[in-house]
Amino acid sequence: MNTKRLVSQSVRAMARYKLRTAFMMLGSFIGVAALTLTMSVGQGVRAKMLVTIRQVLGDQSILVAGGGSRMMGSPRAGAARLTVDDIAAVAKDIPAIDGWDPQAELSGTSVRYGDVTATARITGQSERWSRVWGRGVSRGESFDAAAVASSARVALIGETVARTLFSDQDPIDAEIRIGAVPVRVVGILERFGNDMHGMDRDNEIIVPISTLMRRLTNADAINAAKLLVKDPALEEETAAEIKRVLRLRHALDKDQPDDFTVVTSLDAQKMMQMIQRVLVVYLPLVGGIALVVGGVVAATLMLASVNERTSEIGLRRAVGARPEDIRRQFVIETAAIIIVGALVGILLGYAGAQAVASRLKLDGAFSWTAVLVSLAAATIVGLLAGVLPARRAAQLHPADALR
Amino acid sequence: MIELLEIRKRFTGDAGAVIDALAGVSLRIERGEFVAIVGASGSGKSTLMNILGLLDQPTSGQYLFDGEDVAGLSVAEQARFRNKRVGFVFQSFHLLARTSALENVELPLLYSDRSSIDNLARRALDAVGLSDRVSHTPSQLSGGQQQRVAIARALVNEPDLLLADEPTGNLDAKAATEIMEIFRTLNASGRTVVLVTHDPTMARYAQRTVRLERGRIVADERAALQEVS
Repeated sequence: MNTKRLVSQSVRAMARYKLRTAFMMLGSFIGVAALTLTMSVGQGVRAKMLVTIRQVLGDQSILVAGGGSRMMGSPRAGAARLTVDDIAAVAKDIPAIDGWDPQAELSGTSVRYGDVTATARITGQSERWSRVWGRGVSRGESFDAAAVASSARVALIGETVARTLFSDQDPIDAEIRIGAVPVRVVGILERFGNDMHGMDRDNEIIVPISTLMRRLTNADAINAAKLLVKDPALEEETAAEIKRVLRLRHALDKDQPDDFTVVTSLDAQKMMQMIQRVLVVYLPLVGGIALVVGGVVAATLMLASVNERTSEIGLRRAVGARPEDIRRQFVIETAAIIIVGALVGILLGYAGAQAVASRLKLDGAFSWTAVLVSLAAATIVGLLAGVLPARRAAQLHPADALR
Repeated sequence: MIELLEIRKRFTGDAGAVIDALAGVSLRIERGEFVAIVGASGSGKSTLMNILGLLDQPTSGQYLFDGEDVAGLSVAEQARFRNKRVGFVFQSFHLLARTSALENVELPLLYSDRSSIDNLARRALDAVGLSDRVSHTPSQLSGGQQQRVAIARALVNEPDLLLADEPTGNLDAKAATEIMEIFRTLNASGRTVVLVTHDPTMARYAQRTVRLERGRIVADERAALQEVS
């Protein structure tokens, strides 16, 4: 029997034994749905993280944050001892440092223009922010060193803030209030989009760091600073230097832990790899295991089906099927059921990935690799699951099978 | 057409007991004959039919079909032989459940190298008077109709030999008569028919009756031209 006829016979057999088909599909369906979902989401998260890490750290930079030894995340409470002077001293002592920018933050403060109110994240930064963070202004201009020195009441606003406060008016030179403090809008920040945490980085206002620390918060500790390194090869060495200088300035004893965190782009890459391993290897592995279990279930059900269909097998032999035809029929039937289950699983996994992606604000949470890997895995599992039942069927003696 | 020489078939039971289902059967059947093989159950008549249809191999002896030693064919050649040259009709019909009459009849064609199969299957159903039942599934057909579908399936590849094993065993008298009339018509148009039965009424449709007892032929009678009421 040729392959086309075999496949159409398989489809008919699926329709004839609907319940069995459904149970056989279940395993491959769940396995492949999990596989597609985790691989797609993993890919999406990974892509997002890569972009964000590049945005935050670039290729040759070091991030210093106040607080304990967590690699990322918010600094430990009560440990906020990092000051602008600390970073200035570090930059002065270590020649490999090419530029730096301190950052202090004020979250969720209300901002008003006329009678319109918005909530935005406010950061205070130095006049070097644009070069260090690789982001500029799309309109107007940034503030200069003099503005930072004089705690000038100027602000750069993101597009979301501009849209909320001004709708279609021109924000440049308008006066807005951050809390109770009036500041003048001098520029619009370049568009950024969402970051790794799904936060809208266009809902942001940048003011000179002195303005934030003296006029808005009256704090003397900064949240973090980013330092550029002249040569990426010097990154590790420089990070060690930074730690040494900071420990010295903070007068920490040998047995005391760091009260700051230094993250190099290399650290970030390592962390990336770890997360990637979880997302791209272990999660799909779980889906793969489900698929294999599904394959075993399918093989068992198919064996039972061979026993039930003994007389069909005998009849087929009587009308001219070779053992080879019977063997191929059952292999293809098993594989076809598992592959159809897999196709449905891919659709569901894809839908799930889209749902997760839209919640996490990821883009590109679709992976052809996931689809191809899922299909290939399902095909292999399907063919393997069919081998044993098919061999059993092909070995039946026609006269016995017809009895 | 068929020549059996000293065919023996020995089965070894579970307890090691040896049973000779056929203990040296020699038989010639000419093209166009209608032969009934009769005997009590256990006489070896079904084994004989399985050997005639190459569903089973004799332990020893020779089976010539049109002069060719078919017992020595490879498994694939035997499958081809069953496909092309033999049509089987069984007591329990052996139709695929939940499958239309047409698809059931098409089954032997699927294993042949023919390309246009739909027409042939329809013609075969037509020949057994079921052209209005092509898309019915077995459960929607009466026993007699199911057996007619099975006959259409046996005929669809235009075999030389029709082997029927108790074809009326599961049917009521009326349906049985219909089925036997079909066999008689097929025989009248030149087809060789071998009918295995224990029922003398059915055997009377044949021109020749071969009686088996304990694996041996004990009688081989040619009926004079007879009328069956």
